[in-house]
Amino acid sequence: MTRLVWLASYPKSGNTWFRLLAANLSAANEPVDINDMGERGGIASGRDAFEFHTLLDSGLLTHDEADTLRPRVYESMAREDDGEDLRLVKAHDAYLTTALGEPLLVGARGAERAILIVRDPRDVAPSLANHRKIGLDAAIDFMADPTACFAAATRAQPLQLRQRLLDWSGHAASWLDQADLPVHLVRYEDLRLATSATFVAAMAFAGREVSVADAERAVEFARFDRLQAQERERGFIEWRPRGGGALFFRRGEAQAWRRELTAEQVQRIESAHGPMMRRLGYALSADEGVQQAV
Amino acid sequence: MYRYRIAGLTVSSDVEIPGLHAAAGDEAADVAIALGAVQERMDEAAASGPNWAMTPGAFLLRVPGIARFWLTGGAAITYQPEPEAAPGDIAAFLTGATFGILLHQRGLVVLHASGVAVNGHAVLFLGPSGAGKSTLATALAQRGYPLVTDDFCVVGADGAGRPLIHPDGRLPKLWAQAIRHLDLADRQGAAVRGRLSKFYVEPPQVAASPAPLPCGPVYALREARGPVRPGIERPNIVDAALLLRRNAYRARLIKQMGQDELYFRLAAAVGNAGGVFQLSRELDFAAMPRVIDALERHWAEIGQLAGAA
Repeated sequence: MTRLVWLASYPKSGNTWFRLLAANLSAANEPVDINDMGERGGIASGRDAFEFHTLLDSGLLTHDEADTLRPRVYESMAREDDGEDLRLVKAHDAYLTTALGEPLLVGARGAERAILIVRDPRDVAPSLANHRKIGLDAAIDFMADPTACFAAATRAQPLQLRQRLLDWSGHAASWLDQADLPVHLVRYEDLRLATSATFVAAMAFAGREVSVADAERAVEFARFDRLQAQERERGFIEWRPRGGGALFFRRGEAQAWRRELTAEQVQRIESAHGPMMRRLGYALSADEGVQQAV
Repeated sequence: MYRYRIAGLTVSSDVEIPGLHAAAGDEAADVAIALGAVQERMDEAAASGPNWAMTPGAFLLRVPGIARFWLTGGAAITYQPEPEAAPGDIAAFLTGATFGILLHQRGLVVLHASGVAVNGHAVLFLGPSGAGKSTLATALAQRGYPLVTDDFCVVGADGAGRPLIHPDGRLPKLWAQAIRHLDLADRQGAAVRGRLSKFYVEPPQVAASPAPLPCGPVYALREARGPVRPGIERPNIVDAALLLRRNAYRARLIKQMGQDELYFRLAAAVGNAGGVFQLSRELDFAAMPRVIDALERHWAEIGQLAGAA
């Protein structure tokens, strides 16, 4: 049987990088092509899997109607055997219930467990602004909006099914506080700082023992400058740059917010998400001030 | 009672189904669609999914909140609406899944395709839901190429085994955004479902006669992004066969219905007729004129525009 594990995250928190690390575990001599990940795992909000399992035209369903069927899709996915021992499936959805009151991601009847990747919201904001081609302040507003969604258009058919995200804090809380699935928390900053060890621990939680040598090779193959080089050369299939040709693999740094945000923008994020930031170990500017004073 | 013609079959229905060609006559129909009681489950199914189950002769499809559909022998569809269903919902799902499955059940080759007539040949565009099939076909109808089919399409054969396409599509279904970008507001008809901003559109050009057309080139649509550059390529025969099979209307059912062979033969037949191609283009309305220009150049190159109209 193929074991299903969610790779859950708020958008722009390192999900793609984690998937590239996992994909590079099977690369022996050269890095995996960043444009060759499509068949590996997929995303919970993909229309293909929905239509494959239900035989319905997802474009004839309202977002809410599709949501009521999504739990059935994940139950079916959990019974699939694709010949691998582990299938990591990306999910940006917050852990929520459908209109019928059951978990959208169907609890333990879907994936066995979840890896949750979080990232300092002050670093998410500039990345999200780049991704959605919006200003920084609009990105900060989006991250504070409890009704925020991806792919929620109703006058055209979005590429993916709608994903209800909640606000940034609510997203993290929805995954951390649900009791259906064991969750392993990965902070993007730890993944940057101690990539191999953090990655090996997360994969062990997912049930895959990864040797240090294999992990270090994958880390080397998925180095940020290498990903950027691949993207510069051939583009990235999961990314639709508009106009200026901004990169998907933009910066990938931790703490870049110190240069990218104004003091007021930092303040807005911290006042909206202070409690969850502290819970996840992201020191607020005020806390740093206190530490410096001590 | 309504009567329609789909894929060369006569269909009687006690519910109006917009977007199909009406048929005259009162002889017994090949397919009968009628309201009736439909059981919730199927015992001893040979194959099943979360909302469907099948035996060799019967198929149960459940659309939660809309209806249950029971298909038998490729000849009858019984539907039982759910209490929450709105008017129009039944028709939307009859053409939006159910009828396509019934055609599979009849052993026909059914593609997920929209198409237009070019010089007396049916040119098809394949792709999953959301790939832009209807939008491209309607934009081509604006350029004077009559709409032949929308969303699904049966590929038959003439006496010599050459593929034939039945002109089935009368009203393409477009989202509000596409209607606005293609400037088709004055041709917008009823909503496909009251809950969706997706509408039937009266196309600028429709195939004049229901007579089948020989199959011209078939294009699998994909978005040009990342490493995929805009253009038209001809895949090798193996990839062409995979593309056709992947774009069967409900590809999952092919294996379950034992129809693999049908699609391999189709690939050979279409390859010998107009050919199978991959059309990569930006999913952007502004690119549409360029896409149509590229198609017209391609038709000139492969001789599709030559000969008698």
